[in-house]
Amino acid sequence: MTTVEWHVPDEELDRYAAGAAPPPWRWSTEAHVSGCARCRERLADAAPALVAAAWARLDATLDATLAAAGRGPLETVLVRCGVRDHTARLLAATPVLRLSWFAAVGLTLALAAGAAHLARAMAAPIPFLAVAPLLPLVGVAISFGPGVDPTYELALVAPMHTFRLLLVRCAAVLTTTTVLTAAASLALPAYGLVVLAWLLPALLLMLVCLALTPRWGPVRAAIAVGLGWTVLLLSTIRFDTGRSELFAPAGQLVVAAGVAVAAALLVKVRHGFESGVR
Amino acid sequence: MATATVVASGLTLRYGRTTALDRVSVGLDDGVTGLLGPNGAGKTTLLRILATAIAPDAGELTTLGQDPRSAAGRLAVRRRLGYLPQNPGFHPQFTAFEFVDYVAILKELVDRRARHEEVRRVLGLVGLDGQRSVRIKALSGGTRQRVALAAALLADPALLILDEPTVGLDPEQRLRFRELVAACGEGRTVLLSTHQTEDVMTVCQRVIVIDRGRIRFEGGPGDLAAVAEGRVWTSATRAGTALAAWRTGTGTYRNIGDPPPGADLTPPSIEDGYLLLLDAAAEREPA
Repeated sequence: MTTVEWHVPDEELDRYAAGAAPPPWRWSTEAHVSGCARCRERLADAAPALVAAAWARLDATLDATLAAAGRGPLETVLVRCGVRDHTARLLAATPVLRLSWFAAVGLTLALAAGAAHLARAMAAPIPFLAVAPLLPLVGVAISFGPGVDPTYELALVAPMHTFRLLLVRCAAVLTTTTVLTAAASLALPAYGLVVLAWLLPALLLMLVCLALTPRWGPVRAAIAVGLGWTVLLLSTIRFDTGRSELFAPAGQLVVAAGVAVAAALLVKVRHGFESGVR
Repeated sequence: MATATVVASGLTLRYGRTTALDRVSVGLDDGVTGLLGPNGAGKTTLLRILATAIAPDAGELTTLGQDPRSAAGRLAVRRRLGYLPQNPGFHPQFTAFEFVDYVAILKELVDRRARHEEVRRVLGLVGLDGQRSVRIKALSGGTRQRVALAAALLADPALLILDEPTVGLDPEQRLRFRELVAACGEGRTVLLSTHQTEDVMTVCQRVIVIDRGRIRFEGGPGDLAAVAEGRVWTSATRAGTALAAWRTGTGTYRNIGDPPPGADLTPPSIEDGYLLLLDAAAEREPA
């Protein structure tokens, strides 16, 4: 067994603790301290902040490894895209953001775009424009609520505002479905700009659904809004020309006004999300 | 003078034509209080009101010095509340660490380092240090309950509400869970809902019995047993006058009710007192 007889002089240890030791002395001190318990203790006494910072770095490394190892694919993608880690975790707990949902949305859009392509004698791609606004509506309905989110009750009584959590999830659902729907729109170039006329109705249906949710719950609200959309569409469509006023510029202006009204209504009822369904 | 953690008076809640809670008044202070009652008695409804999940139709409630009817009061209560619902849901794809971390984010612990430190602390408290990286779907029912308890203990809540946490656990898991709950009651207010008298006997300093939406008893576990004082006796055969009777392991019958003259009286248990209370309530208010 060897005994270390030499110890780092006080002034060198102080310089090292202050981060002022030049490289050769720094390396020598580090090498010695790693093998000498007495100098480690002296260093810890002389520079408690240095030791605390080292522990903090170790903690952060352990946490990062643990967190990264457990992240699912969605959370990993979100963090890589620059989403903050706590927001990514909130989104990873969104029941609807799963591969099965994206597959269902993709398939529905493909079928709707296919139907619109077959009916290209029409003035507007009605099958596509009728179905596309319903997708974010369904997504929102199954994002948060009793019977949908297994941790709904925990989220409800947590200090984070339920409305904020809902908006974060809705934003994620709307963003993903919008990207997929916009991609599907590219498959119908023959119709021109009218192919984008699903966007405002999609916003409107989602906002109306959210505004009704505190009173009716997400699923009943979504069903009611979906039925309302169907009735509205059927009552405005002209089957001989395949034209609906909803997708004409004037109709879109009315829908835009509806979006503003629904948004204001939603802000007004936002506190209703803070209490649970009985 | 210290104020009670929870002061409720006249809490009433109706589901359509059914009255789930009927003018309930309770006070809670430090230590573990057991809320005992049969299924459908109104336990979960009362707990959900105290946890700010739903608002009562009528009545006054002050929790941790706040009025949960106002948004600010509700938020203040939620910041100091730990809640384990009757059927705590999980995101099964999360690990134990990730799940508790998710709840910590909901509890506004945003700084990652401080949050992770807190998650490790509470998982350590419930003895899950070694299972932090195990996915929820791979954990047993008892271990999941411990994960849910860890989530409820985040941020050191002053009021801890546990809704039937021992349901579905095997005897050993139940024993371990009771140990944990007893430890949680030191220095904070714990309300433990259960329909098992053993839970009350082993961990509670106070007990509240609720049945058909009304409070039937409030006092110490010993006081609940004393309700049946002089009304429990043993006999070689089943006594016809007994409200309830069962054969014990020794072959004699244990009877509860009005004893016949000369009956061999025996000291009552909490269970005896509880059965008599429920029976008296049923007699007064037949279904």
